Amino acid sequence: MVAKEPNLKEIERKTYISYHQDGLLDIFASLYIVGFSIGILLDFIWDYSFGLFIPGFLVVLVLPLWIAAKRKITLPRIGFVKFGTSGSKKVTIILTGLTIVGGLFFLAFALLIKSSSWTDFIFANGLILVGIGGLTISFLFGYATGLKRLYAYGVLALAIFVGGHFLGVFFAYLVLMLGVTVMLVGSSLLIQFVRKYPLKGEDFVVQ
Amino acid sequence: MAQLYVVESADFLFLQHQTEMSSGNLSAHLKKLEAAGYIEVTKEYIDKKPHTTLALTKKGREAFKQYRQRVKQFVEKIPE
Repeated sequence: MVAKEPNLKEIERKTYISYHQDGLLDIFASLYIVGFSIGILLDFIWDYSFGLFIPGFLVVLVLPLWIAAKRKITLPRIGFVKFGTSGSKKVTIILTGLTIVGGLFFLAFALLIKSSSWTDFIFANGLILVGIGGLTISFLFGYATGLKRLYAYGVLALAIFVGGHFLGVFFAYLVLMLGVTVMLVGSSLLIQFVRKYPLKGEDFVVQ
Repeated sequence: MAQLYVVESADFLFLQHQTEMSSGNLSAHLKKLEAAGYIEVTKEYIDKKPHTTLALTKKGREAFKQYRQRVKQFVEKIPE
């Protein structure tokens, strides 16, 4: 038998995936998406700008809840791991890149708003553009984290928004549909995770 | 060691799941690595429960790098 060189990238990928197989990331991301859609609906139904602040409140609320759930559900079952900086570096680069691109788009939109042909195009194809944006962001994070289901979410977002564009469905309902689907996937992953790793109630110590 | 090489630190339970080893077997391996100065073992109590965190030392990281290098050279020398 010949000794094999350990494939560290594969080990790192598997380690990262095993830490996020609990579905909590999906559930809390979907809470944000659903909250965002409810915010739009509240604003639309009651014409009350409080709804627009909901995404902001959710960022403050969802993150601590996610950390608490991770401590209560994931850590007692599969243990704790602290990752190095290589994975988080990729995510930071993507987040910075997206912020810059988003800012440039916003600037271009603000400058081009006087040009009616551009604004007409953007408003006429807004849902398709959102779908393409969702696909791009999901693919970038899928690449950075190695979580393959993010690619599926990207394709789902594109399908929902492009479908919604042609069927004439209101934007908030499409966001809600995306959020609920991600939540169902996350919940199913969580159930599988809890069944696969039951609580043992004790930790082992190296003597 | 490969598992600890790709992370900053991990606890006993996490390593056990990743390596699929029994607690006794893993504990024996870790004891040898600790004795060689390749890993650092931190024992503490969280919520009155014992908790063991493990991390590769600088010496351990270097030793693993050298091991990889040697395996690579060995594999390259094998005729096809």
